[in-house]
Amino acid sequence: MAGHNKNNIYLKKSLFYPRAIRFLPIIITIVILIMLPLYASSYIVFVAAIALLYAMVAAGYDVLLGYTGQLSFCQGAFYGIGAYLSAILTVNYGWSFWQAMPISVLFVGLVSAIIGYPALRLRGAYFAVTTFFLAHFVYLIFLNEVSLTGGPLGFRGIRPPEPIGPLSFESMANGYLLILFSFIIIYALLRKFVNSNVGLILKSIEQDDILAESMGINTAAYKLLSFVISAIVAGYAGTMFAHFFRLLHPTTFSWFLSEMVVIITLVGGVGTLIGPVLGAGIVTFILEFLRFAPEIRYVGWAIALIAILMFEPKGLMGLIKRIGVR
Amino acid sequence: MSEKKRLGKKSIAIVIIAVIVIVIGSVLGWYFMMAPAAPRVIKIGYSAPFTGPAAEFGTNGWRGISIALEEINAKGVYIKGEKYTVEVIRYDDRCEPTEGAAAVKKLILEDKVIAILGSHCSSVCMAIAPLCDENRIPGITIECAADAVTSPGHEYYFRMRPSMGLMAPLITPVIIDKLKPSKIGFLAINDDYGRSFVESFKKNFEGYGVSTVVEEYFERGATDFYPYLTAIKAAKPDIVFYVGVTPEGALILKQAKELGLIPEVKFIGSEEMGEYELVSLAGKEAVAGTYAISLWAPKPEIRELASKVKEKFNAPMHYAIVFGYDALHVLVKAIEMAQSLDPAKIKDALKKLEYEGLQGHIKFESFEYGGKLFVNQGRWTPYLIRWTEVGEKELIGP
Amino acid sequence: MIDTIVLTQLLNGFILGLIYGLMAIGLTMIWSVTDLPDFSQGGIYIISAYVAYWTITLLNVPYFLAIPIGALAGILLSVAFERIVYDRLRPSGVLSCLLAAIALFFLLENAANALWTPKAKIMSVPETEVSINLFGIVTSYHRIIIFIISVLLFIFVHLFIKYTKIGMAMRAVAEDREIAALMGIDTSKVYIATWALGGALTSVAAILISPLYAVWPGMGTLPLLKALVVVILGGFGSIIGALIGGLILGLIETFGAIYVSAAYQHGFAFILLLLTLSLRPKGLFGRR
Repeated sequence: MAGHNKNNIYLKKSLFYPRAIRFLPIIITIVILIMLPLYASSYIVFVAAIALLYAMVAAGYDVLLGYTGQLSFCQGAFYGIGAYLSAILTVNYGWSFWQAMPISVLFVGLVSAIIGYPALRLRGAYFAVTTFFLAHFVYLIFLNEVSLTGGPLGFRGIRPPEPIGPLSFESMANGYLLILFSFIIIYALLRKFVNSNVGLILKSIEQDDILAESMGINTAAYKLLSFVISAIVAGYAGTMFAHFFRLLHPTTFSWFLSEMVVIITLVGGVGTLIGPVLGAGIVTFILEFLRFAPEIRYVGWAIALIAILMFEPKGLMGLIKRIGVR
Repeated sequence: MSEKKRLGKKSIAIVIIAVIVIVIGSVLGWYFMMAPAAPRVIKIGYSAPFTGPAAEFGTNGWRGISIALEEINAKGVYIKGEKYTVEVIRYDDRCEPTEGAAAVKKLILEDKVIAILGSHCSSVCMAIAPLCDENRIPGITIECAADAVTSPGHEYYFRMRPSMGLMAPLITPVIIDKLKPSKIGFLAINDDYGRSFVESFKKNFEGYGVSTVVEEYFERGATDFYPYLTAIKAAKPDIVFYVGVTPEGALILKQAKELGLIPEVKFIGSEEMGEYELVSLAGKEAVAGTYAISLWAPKPEIRELASKVKEKFNAPMHYAIVFGYDALHVLVKAIEMAQSLDPAKIKDALKKLEYEGLQGHIKFESFEYGGKLFVNQGRWTPYLIRWTEVGEKELIGP
Repeated sequence: MIDTIVLTQLLNGFILGLIYGLMAIGLTMIWSVTDLPDFSQGGIYIISAYVAYWTITLLNVPYFLAIPIGALAGILLSVAFERIVYDRLRPSGVLSCLLAAIALFFLLENAANALWTPKAKIMSVPETEVSINLFGIVTSYHRIIIFIISVLLFIFVHLFIKYTKIGMAMRAVAEDREIAALMGIDTSKVYIATWALGGALTSVAAILISPLYAVWPGMGTLPLLKALVVVILGGFGSIIGALIGGLILGLIETFGAIYVSAAYQHGFAFILLLLTLSLRPKGLFGRR
């Protein structure tokens, strides 16, 4: 009887306080991030902005990798296309950012749909290899089409997004805040998507796509959908990057970027959506932390990465779940 | 998810300890880096590629800087009668603009340096220059070649060596005088450096009535030059400029020899090919008789530096070493001229100073050339050298 | 009278194709037997070349001895990865193993960077750099050596798979793992053998091509990708396919570089991949 009472009390408590407690860490984090420019140097704000962009791309990527189970390596390509297109439209054709950005994002979506339609019929590793090549091919275009992208000479002179009313995005702080807010909105939308019925269907495809197909689900269409969504998120992040950093160079969009996105998603925890976001933070933190040892920075990081993955293949989120959040 | 065992107490302990170590480590690290410089220490920042394909430049630049640092600290820097020592903090930028920006921001805002040295890649320099202006901290680039770095230029950013657009007009007359070509060709690396090189030399030779009959580009790390050399052979130029880094150069010379291009066609290498490393990689026979544009001439002071480099690092001489060495000396000279640690005063001193560097006579000028405005740009004439049979440099001109 | 330039490129493309083929054989075997497209072979490619470079320059070992030494390094690494990493991650699914392979490739590339500096090294083998004139084509001894060694290896692998016990066990596991296990085949031994063979082939390919091209930490990425394309082009699990696919790619790349565009040289593999996947996804000789 005493045990029964205890359970009762526990039940009562959870009835009153479930939502608030769960959201508290998130709210605190968001507040800290919003206030960042107030107490941190522009170096930290800059690094945080880049990390948020990575987090955005990684979260979109998780929809593809974690929820639909498709491994791809071309996030860098979509990020780059979004960045360069927005830059070209605003600098060469005088468009406003607010016109160029949606068009760039739409274009990225279109490209991803055109490529995804045939490519997604491939299974697993075949698809992965194709995306690897696609990323390299797009990189070659960035590098060689000098008249369009400036190639190795770089694309300079990109302006920040035009002000909305009195709010200008010229300063580092405001540019960062714009990225932060976009990230929150995009993450919320992705969360909703992933928790919706469509998200459940994606999950079922990841579990066993043959079974799903046999149950009448048009797996090809859903795979394409998640591919396009991840591409659009990457493309949008690209436009944000172009107008925040204001200098584009092909080296920024090399394989390294796509590799980073994959690794961030892994380290954070595939298929959890919040995992890759945390992963972006952790990886950025480790890399900046290791700045004092320039030569071994990346080796140390690669070793840490392997160690993490071997200790917990499910990444940070897997670790958290194992520690036992009841 | 429930199949995985709950972590044992030991694992949880390890994880918690790891997290605590990391947190304490970073807090301590942050604290020490944020701490103001020990009294009488001048902090200077250095951003360079230490990893990635351009890593040799950063490594060599650092070698030059560290030798200069030793010399400088042996004597000390005297400002208003007080003796100071210099400390150089270096970060890797991977030859990538966002990394360079982050590194420089950290140097300026957290490490509180009063001047920046760097970087080596033009793309990074273009990202760093505006930051120098923004934060009013003077910066000297080590070796970026693209014109755009100092044109239209920044008040706080300086370049010692002539940029690509300036090298061509300075050395073209020398080449025409000594080698008298009528047709030229290019085999260049497909990046900011390679493209600027070809663009400016092409234009300058045109001005003398020499036409370009073939122009090929290869990717960094490329190793098969047969297709390009075949195309070049078909076009029959008198001179071929080959632009890249020494491993590529070595392969190009070897493969060109295999195809019978050398010695019929005169190969002139870009600045890298004026370095001893080319000889050690390609072998004396492959290199002998070929030419190169060199950023330093075989002067006695350079030989002295070269032997120090050999002794300390067991490495061959390289122009990045010379530039790094000169850059730090120039900066310290400016500090001594300004007799102050105020970055703005140092910047003013840099604008006024003249310094006989190992590379040439260094003076930062602002001028117009070819319809472009250059700011804080040096203008000494590079050297045309020929490699001898014993693997030594022979100065051909000027 | 065919232009000597065309003939030279024909030879070069052929030789290049043999190298791609070697690496592709290793990959296709690993993939068909263990279900893992082993991206870490790209890293093994790099490390074995460096090990060979080291033995030649530091220990003054002749080139032909450096080849088996480098191959040994490749074998040890491949097997070590299998035992330490892949074996552990296998229960978590193929995706985990694939991601681990990629992470290992990344690790090896950065390790090479740190150990040997990012600057390219030239593996000089004066004995084979001798120029020879073959029917009017100027080429070097070395390419002939590549040809001979590659062909010998192909024959060896073919015989090995066909006639040895382990070879047959590999084929059985590639066909159907469960049934092979039921028949008493020790799959873990087969895995080790497969990885050893794959690592060896990749290493030899790397060391053979190194004197012609340079040795640098980034040297593994493109060969890996191209070998994967060859695996797909030739057909999953097919050794003949890997060979023929490799030759096709080598020739297309070499001629494409001259007649179409040298800048997009590496894009031909991509186009070949797209063509294969849309027209004949099984590859030329594929079974699955």
